Amino acid sequence: MDFQETAERISHKITAKGQTADKQRIETKLRRLIDEFGVAPNEAERTVTNELMKELGIAPAQAGGSGGTEEKKIAGVMPGDWITFEGKVVALTSSPSPAISQSGIIADDSGAIRFVIWEKAKAPLLKIDTWYRIESAVVDEYKGIPNLKIHSGTLIKELESDASLMPAVLTVQDLKPGIASVRAKVIQEWEVTHERMLQSGLLGDETGTVKFIIWKEEGKAGLEPGAVYTIFYAQVDEFNGRLSLNLTSATCLPEESDIEVKSSETTITGSIVSIAPGSGLIKRCPVPGCNRALSRQNYCPVHEIQPEFNYDLRIKGWLDNGDRTWSILISRDAVESLTGMTLDQAKEIAENNPLGMDEVFLRMREMVTGRYYTCTGREIDGRILANSCSRVTFDPGRHAALLNRAGSVN
Amino acid sequence: MTENGSGQGQFQKREGSFEREPARRVFAGEFRDIRYQFKDSTDEKSPTFVLLPTGERCNRALAIGTLTEKQKQGDQNIFYRGRIVDPTGTFFVMAGSYQPEAMQQLARVEPPQFVAAIGKPSVYQTPDGSFLVSLRLESITVVDKDTRDEWVLDTAGHTLDRLDALGKTPDSLKAIEEYKPNPEMYRKMAYDALTQIRI
Repeated sequence: MDFQETAERISHKITAKGQTADKQRIETKLRRLIDEFGVAPNEAERTVTNELMKELGIAPAQAGGSGGTEEKKIAGVMPGDWITFEGKVVALTSSPSPAISQSGIIADDSGAIRFVIWEKAKAPLLKIDTWYRIESAVVDEYKGIPNLKIHSGTLIKELESDASLMPAVLTVQDLKPGIASVRAKVIQEWEVTHERMLQSGLLGDETGTVKFIIWKEEGKAGLEPGAVYTIFYAQVDEFNGRLSLNLTSATCLPEESDIEVKSSETTITGSIVSIAPGSGLIKRCPVPGCNRALSRQNYCPVHEIQPEFNYDLRIKGWLDNGDRTWSILISRDAVESLTGMTLDQAKEIAENNPLGMDEVFLRMREMVTGRYYTCTGREIDGRILANSCSRVTFDPGRHAALLNRAGSVN
Repeated sequence: MTENGSGQGQFQKREGSFEREPARRVFAGEFRDIRYQFKDSTDEKSPTFVLLPTGERCNRALAIGTLTEKQKQGDQNIFYRGRIVDPTGTFFVMAGSYQPEAMQQLARVEPPQFVAAIGKPSVYQTPDGSFLVSLRLESITVVDKDTRDEWVLDTAGHTLDRLDALGKTPDSLKAIEEYKPNPEMYRKMAYDALTQIRI
């Protein structure tokens, strides 16, 4: 288990209080608690933090009453902090549970944070676009994202302010879990895979790309592929070390200008040394949002027998550059340009041949296997989802360079 | 071990991160010199490698050249042999009933044709002590001259890369011990192959 990250977090908290702590020592303490005593990591983190705070004479964060709270800006808060601040409610989200009376996003000029008002806090409901002074709220962490908890001891005062807020707009590369604003272009729109999902796809700017998702909600509209948006107060989630943006409660304003998106795609040149069954002409489940490949008997693993399937073309195979082999999945457009066989032609071949769909597979196998291609697409877990593939053509310059290299005497 | 237990073991194996062995690019002239065959572990399912004289392990190879001859052999156990010629020599390839797909592919090709062959190398020692290195086919398809030329560039590049790394990797140190290869010979082989394709 890695203690470094946790130690880093604890040391941050100490530094935030104007003291310093030896990270090595924090790590040792953590290791002792977790490895030797089997303490749960989050509990160990809390224990070590409190122990150090006490040692350094820092008032413990959990002190009841308002003694431990500080006047703070949102950008500087850490889980465990009790804070008092002035902020504006910039978004309200539908509450996922009856135990929560309201949730949303509150911002100041330094940043934004998700807030939750628990039913049992008996707090007044907040209004959107309104400034409040929040006293003695506590910051905790939910799914890796800082979360402001408004509880029964929190004082909420509405302010007579209509000051506008301009959130700091980050680049995709600088995103971290929490709430953030970005300016980015919709570069891909993916098939929705869940009935509650409105839209998902890929956003990009000059520094990188990030997945986005919008859940269905009343009055919520999807984004236009290819358009640029300034997105205010999106929720940045982290899953398996990968970030994604949840735009369900974000405000997305379309922009006139265009931006150059940094390519997130991998390009590999090699020989396709094998194509696998399931390549060629395939049938897909017609249920909206499903699109899974069907078995030969038209069986979808989720929606059972689907006689009204859709046809599609794809190639699953292995692209090999002599040093490494990549699993590759080539999409219909790229298959058509690679083989010169269109979906309609493939259907015709399948209908007029005793071997049916197998005939398409066999023809594609003969056309493709052993030849050199340059394939471009996103790489996910060692598999390339290729959306473009081109034949490698003879490069006289490369030939000459190799001749020089082989002919030179070392 | 119970039947159930062994089944589970297989399942776990499949779940593990499987890395397909790359198809090495090697000229026939070097392929013919292979003698040393090994496994990394005693596990029955661990892959078998041959060691290339220029110093890299090889579990699979891509050979592109001209199929000059093919022959059907055997009565009960039918198999096909073929010869694939590149600018440096000849690959001996074979496909039997354990490689039905490749065998049928080879059965369809009428030589001479440019072909791309992918397969597993193996080394046999005949009773008189001479060695036979062959490629057991996984796939063989008809290709064009452009693909053959591209393969010569690709294979020359990889051969030179291996020569540059000779003595710097564990596999190449083993190759020096086993073969005492003459790097200049393989360098010249790559050079000659390059001069034989279009100028």
